[in-house]
Amino acid sequence: MRESHRERVLEFLRTIQKPDRPLDGVAETDSLVEAGLIDSLALLEIVAFLEEHYRIDFASTGLEPELLTSVSGILDLIEREGR
Amino acid sequence: MPDGHDEGHLLLTVGQLVEPVTGRRWDPPAILREVGARCARYERRGLRPGDRVFLHSGNRLEFFAELLAVWRLGGCAVPVDGRLTRVELERLVDAATPRFSVVDDATDGAAAAALPSTVEVVDASEPATPADLPADRARASADALILFTSGSTGAPKGVVHTHASLRARWSALEHHLGLPPYARTLCLLPTHFGHGLICNSLFPWLAGQDLFVTPPFRPDLLARLGALVDEHRITFLSSVPAMWRLALKVARPPRGATLRRVHCGSAPLPATLWESIRRWAGTPEVFNTYGLTETGSWVAGTSGGDFTPADGLIGPPWGATIRVLRGGDAEGLAAGGDAPCAPGETGHVWLETPALMRGYLGRDDLTRRVVVKGRFATGDLGLLDERGWLHLRGRERDEINKGGMKISPAEVDAAAEGCPRVEEVCAFAVDDPLYGQNVGLAVALTDGGDGAVRELYRWMGERLSEAKLPVRWWRLDAIPRSDRGKVSREAVREACAGRAPLDLARILQER
Repeated sequence: MRESHRERVLEFLRTIQKPDRPLDGVAETDSLVEAGLIDSLALLEIVAFLEEHYRIDFASTGLEPELLTSVSGILDLIEREGR
Repeated sequence: MPDGHDEGHLLLTVGQLVEPVTGRRWDPPAILREVGARCARYERRGLRPGDRVFLHSGNRLEFFAELLAVWRLGGCAVPVDGRLTRVELERLVDAATPRFSVVDDATDGAAAAALPSTVEVVDASEPATPADLPADRARASADALILFTSGSTGAPKGVVHTHASLRARWSALEHHLGLPPYARTLCLLPTHFGHGLICNSLFPWLAGQDLFVTPPFRPDLLARLGALVDEHRITFLSSVPAMWRLALKVARPPRGATLRRVHCGSAPLPATLWESIRRWAGTPEVFNTYGLTETGSWVAGTSGGDFTPADGLIGPPWGATIRVLRGGDAEGLAAGGDAPCAPGETGHVWLETPALMRGYLGRDDLTRRVVVKGRFATGDLGLLDERGWLHLRGRERDEINKGGMKISPAEVDAAAEGCPRVEEVCAFAVDDPLYGQNVGLAVALTDGGDGAVRELYRWMGERLSEAKLPVRWWRLDAIPRSDRGKVSREAVREACAGRAPLDLARILQER
């Protein structure tokens, strides 16, 4: 299951990443912002993606931004909160 | 004002300065000590009245001490974005000819290395020897602040404010808005912008209110904005709409009932977003503020009486006279366009205010186009209702408003046009779910391969800071033109709207 989530998340990240940075070169636990892959405000786009595709309700669960800064953090959140 | 009666203009009735992220804080006596020590350092280095000083890093305690020290000695401060490319910085240096450049550990070393030898580099973090404050050499009529905005021709446009024009803005704000709501002010905006510096920060702080300053636009801070407000008992914060698109989704509302007022400006505020901010903040006093760097930022807003948020609603003026005229610039007025529009009729928005800039640095031609008999042509379209409240209806100039940051498409064009692979280029605004607008680019290249796209991307990256780089690209055989051979950015945008943009990630990552 985590593998299929990973494929979907990576596919999404390719649509918001800075175009000249290779996603493949970023380790799963690396910070996407510190690796220069996404703009720090792209967090909003990740939030919108998770709300729409995994029905995660950040208004009720709150948000720990550090969870959304790496692929592994996003996958952990999907496994815990996704529907 | 004769010499001798014009001095002693600097306000030093400051409040506390606090960095919530680091926990550092300076109380007013500590601030004055820091300013005194920095004055002594500048005096040793020979700063003279009128000298210009670049300040590369804002949004921290030292920035404010440097600013007051420069002013105390009669100098002119030029806050600049620390993320500028070397090319952009060189252009600002050419335009403003600074004597000093203040850097710190947050300054991009490559950019600092680009400074010519005529500019003396000062390290803001170097220990300064305590010293008493020197005599106040700030003159009301002297240049105090230069803020660069994106020029319509692509050349940098420096807005020059004097101590008098800044003081006029702060006095007007205090008169119209009062000080108590600003007792504990939070600044989340960049201090190299007029909105963040002149109004969000300096207006309350120089009137003795406490200022809490954070690094700008940090999503982790926006995600815990409610907690930040509670922890520091914040009474006021200013903002741009893009911040709320994130904060409202992820930040819990404040619980401490300390927040009395919120301003939102620099970009259109949709009524639905406005209502949501009101609910989140727990106060009806969420004001949609209007202002331009040229007018010392905030000049109008929904500050009094009952109002229902509506798209484009601004409100009554704060220390300004708003006129809606049929002409939009000096030529328009000369051609009979100085007739006022009737209430409810849309026209060109002009402002008269004692807080108006002295002019654009070294560009009297540009100043004369937009300042006519003391009235400033804002470039905005709007109307006055029966109460004299301003409602904005659009912008006649084709700048791109990316979350409050104004980007001139001409500047983007100019950066691309020098690339040998480019035949024609046209930048324009594209819709963006976060920022409201972002930068799109239509380009005709000399050859059909992806290599030309890669070369242009690299070329532009060396000349434009990241925030200005186009995010969506369209490759066309030629840029569409009107029958008269003119390029309309709106027509180019429409021509691109029906086509898929380039898959830049694929192109740039293929080698």
